[in-house]
Amino acid sequence: MSASFRRSAVAIGFAALLLALVPLFTGSFVLHVLTIALYYVILAASWNLLAGYTGQFSLAHHAFAAIGAYTSGLMGYHLKISPWIGIPCGVMLAGVCGLILGRLVLKMRAIYLAIATWAFAETFHIYLTADYKFTRGELGLSVKSLYGTTDPMPYYFTFLALTVLVLLGLRLLIDSPLGFFMRAIKDDELRAKSLGIDTTKVKIAVFAISSAIAGLAGGFFGHYIALLTPQMIDFSEMAKIVVMVVIGGFGTFLGPIVGAAPVQVVMTYLQSYGEWNLAVFALIVIVLMRFSMEGVASLFTPLWRRVWNWK
Amino acid sequence: MAALEAIGLRKRFGTLQAANDVTLSVEPGEIRGLIGPNGAGKTTLVNLVTGVYAPDSGEVKLAGQSITGLAMHEIARRGLVRSFQVTRLFGNQTVRENLLTAFHARRPANVDGEAAAERMIRLTTLGPLADTPAKKLSGGQRALLQMGCGFMVPGSCYVLDEPFAGINPVIKETILEMIVEVNRAQGAAFLVVSHEMAIIRQLCPQVTVMMEGKVAAQGTLDEVARLPAVVAGYLGKALE
Ligand SMILES: Nc1ncnc2c1ncn2[C@@H]1O[C@H](COP(=O)(O)OP(=O)(O)OP(=O)(O)O)[C@@H](O)[C@H]1O
Ligand SMILES: [Mg+2]
Repeated sequence: MSASFRRSAVAIGFAALLLALVPLFTGSFVLHVLTIALYYVILAASWNLLAGYTGQFSLAHHAFAAIGAYTSGLMGYHLKISPWIGIPCGVMLAGVCGLILGRLVLKMRAIYLAIATWAFAETFHIYLTADYKFTRGELGLSVKSLYGTTDPMPYYFTFLALTVLVLLGLRLLIDSPLGFFMRAIKDDELRAKSLGIDTTKVKIAVFAISSAIAGLAGGFFGHYIALLTPQMIDFSEMAKIVVMVVIGGFGTFLGPIVGAAPVQVVMTYLQSYGEWNLAVFALIVIVLMRFSMEGVASLFTPLWRRVWNWK
Repeated sequence: MAALEAIGLRKRFGTLQAANDVTLSVEPGEIRGLIGPNGAGKTTLVNLVTGVYAPDSGEVKLAGQSITGLAMHEIARRGLVRSFQVTRLFGNQTVRENLLTAFHARRPANVDGEAAAERMIRLTTLGPLADTPAKKLSGGQRALLQMGCGFMVPGSCYVLDEPFAGINPVIKETILEMIVEVNRAQGAAFLVVSHEMAIIRQLCPQVTVMMEGKVAAQGTLDEVARLPAVVAGYLGKALE
């Protein structure tokens, strides 16, 4: 295990421990908000792997979460299949769809890739709405809750565990040779190739991995909220993920973690202002992108260094 | 059998025939110079043999095996290593990470990457900058690092596009020593593009001269430097 992994594991473990104590002090609404925030941490972190580390600015990440959620939801609704089988199927389908989409957009430059992935997500959105006999469309697909209760507590701990696992997995991946290749491709793809890196394979693999993780988060999310609607693939969902990562720190490990939760919490409380709160965040993103891409995570860097120098 | 062979390579950009029937070979263990005026097609040739462009016609062989039309990364994995005239590095990776990326890309079995990177950091004298992002390096340091990346995993043939252009004499000397050392220790072949006649004379027993997309002459530097066509088309005056 590398030093970087050990440090991250300690920090993540410590944060998870603190979060595990939260239910002692708060009610179920706060737990609900935090559960949703953890869902977005997973989405933001996995999208960051693709966009922030590899430079593949996909706008279809929310669609892969929906693939995970709807796969398990539909299997349960039509075939009475247990979520514990449905969710893994959703993960696999999201991964395979990610692999295919990744293959299709392989040669595309940034803006075309963004448009093509967005079109993919919109197509899926329209399908979910249109084929209402199968998907229940805007009426919503009712999904069995995972633990047969609507009390957020067990879901909160489920998402906490999932988040820890996903983050540790991502840390391992980023420190592995594949992680080096991802960052190399983002910086200079021609040079990456000239060194002997099969950039095609790397990009497709990262697309599949990040999509599968989104499918995992989506699967569990569906069995928590218990009602799936095409709203899950509304573009505002994707925009939210982008906002979270950019505010937190694009292409940094800490970024999506420190960006997702606060943005989701603030948005929940600003919900009464409707779509406007997204507009405010969009403005912040534009300013951040224009002046620095470092995000909130960079504020933690000096502290992080100091903590580990004490040892 | 030649380490690297280009046979009748042609490449056209619009109306410009940048490579016009280029045939050239580099023997195992040889350090061959490639010289010629600006726009002669030297970089184009480098790009053709390393797979950046597919030739319109002709063939490229590495140790006797055809590599024409192979993907760039395939060619690199077969041991043909290149450097770029305009230095290319991963700007957001540190010096050490750049070396490690180059290592992992063609990872040899049973070799410790960290240790290899450490050795290369010493060899390139970039120690104090090991954890600095490559984009913060000076031009000479970048050239040095690019060279170090190329040497992280042994190759059978190195194609270096102007490795000495625009860098200070100390770094130039370091790069020169690295080339000589790799050539001596591993018996690797080199094709070195350069305008620096003093270095070419010191490093390359044989040179190839390119002009207007064609091979204009081959031989020792002093032989080709006497040819009227080379003097008129490139050197301007005879070398002293
Ligand atoms: N991708 C390209 N598209 C169009 N023209 C090109 C391309 N690459 C090179 N050329 C042209 O081909 C000719 C040969 O260029 P090349 O870079 O191979 O020359 P060179 O011998 O390396 O010159 P220098 O000594 O200046 O590096 C030039 O006229 C150049 O403008
Ligand atoms: Mg050139």
